[in-house]
Amino acid sequence: MKHTLRSFFSICLVLSLTLVQAQETTPVKSDPKTAKTEQIIPEAPLPLVKISPEIIKNDSIPVKTDRYGVRVGVDLYKLTRALYDKDYKGIELVGDYRLTKKYFLAAELGNENKTTDDDRVNFTTKGSYIKAGFDYNAYENWLDMENIISIGMRYGFSTFNQQLNSYRIYNANPYFGEVPVIPSGKKFDGLSASWIEVVAGVKAKVFDNVFVGFSLRLNRLITNKEPENFSNLYIPGFNRTYDGDFGVGFNYTITYFVPIYKKKVKPIAVPKKVEKK
Amino acid sequence: MKKIILLVFALALSFSSCEKDDICDANTPTTPLLVIGFYDFLNPSVLKNVSNLKVVGEGMTDGILFNGSQTTSGNTISIPLKTVGTSTTYSFTLNSGNPNSVLIDEDFIKFDYTTQELFVSRACGYKSIFTLDPTNPYTHTDATAANQKWIKFISVEKSNIENENETHIKIFF
Repeated sequence: MKHTLRSFFSICLVLSLTLVQAQETTPVKSDPKTAKTEQIIPEAPLPLVKISPEIIKNDSIPVKTDRYGVRVGVDLYKLTRALYDKDYKGIELVGDYRLTKKYFLAAELGNENKTTDDDRVNFTTKGSYIKAGFDYNAYENWLDMENIISIGMRYGFSTFNQQLNSYRIYNANPYFGEVPVIPSGKKFDGLSASWIEVVAGVKAKVFDNVFVGFSLRLNRLITNKEPENFSNLYIPGFNRTYDGDFGVGFNYTITYFVPIYKKKVKPIAVPKKVEKK
Repeated sequence: MKKIILLVFALALSFSSCEKDDICDANTPTTPLLVIGFYDFLNPSVLKNVSNLKVVGEGMTDGILFNGSQTTSGNTISIPLKTVGTSTTYSFTLNSGNPNSVLIDEDFIKFDYTTQELFVSRACGYKSIFTLDPTNPYTHTDATAANQKWIKFISVEKSNIENENETHIKIFF
């Protein structure tokens, strides 16, 4: 099931990108022949105005402004999971800041307390994490839309502790019967891990300054301080670890955009061609 | 844009090659079995086949299965040690089920050891490894005092039982 889910995420990721590609519009270059250069000579009673050749465009694109600011919010998935999963408590705050037209500084800050009950081990992981990086908006918005389909990267760091609640000993030859579950309660403190994430995300403006979004993440561990005689089977922020260094994650966010300043969108400059004879 | 798509494609493909780790793989070294080799007492370097040996753990009624049968006529056996507690007692019955009851001979061996529990993986959990007691690794007794023990000599080859690649105990008869 988990593997099906994993491949499903991978496919979603690829599909979401084709969506981005489909929405991409190449700017239509205006024909230089249609752009006329006129000199306007004002009549005598009128006040003097600057006389300069001006390019008058035939198409009428309204002046477009981009809003810049910070977006702050929360991961709804982690917040609501505590309602139906008694083994989980967690919160993740998300935020981003628009740096340029396409690039956003992005960060997530979270805390998790999760008890994992596997066949042979039962353990509780508690810890906090921070992820920081950027998002690149690959979506070309129409008019004053502010939707985002982004690809980004994060560097994640987590400090946490693990408590082994109980475990079982694997015996390939169960002649004396299956070994009972052994209670432990051993605690492993001062653990840490860091990783890189590739993020594919969507954010849509639902009304005013409120956005909802979700993102899928592929993680790869860089460092992992393992406990002695146990393993970091779950890392806050990174999620479940697999045999390799890879992991997956996702979040479902609701965010509020706080505008700080506006910037006019520069019309796409068309280089004037000088005809050579 | 095309480059990004290629990059994500490569990433998605790399995920499809992930190994399944929910089931403990049979090839993963977990709790080792005690490997016992049978040797000729008169010619100690030569392996000797036992005849219809039945090995029963203390408190158990059925013998350990060797290739689906409760008796073996090979020269090497692998038997489990209890992971709960620090000793395991086995009865070794030679010529088990033989109609001539004079030939049937039962010896007891009690193995004393300490255990250490090591983490293996999410799917396998922990495993136990054993260290045979350095002063008194085994106690050899006979079922009936009048009967002579069929096991002449026991030699501990490896007191650390960590894997099944080597013979831990040699039994000479």
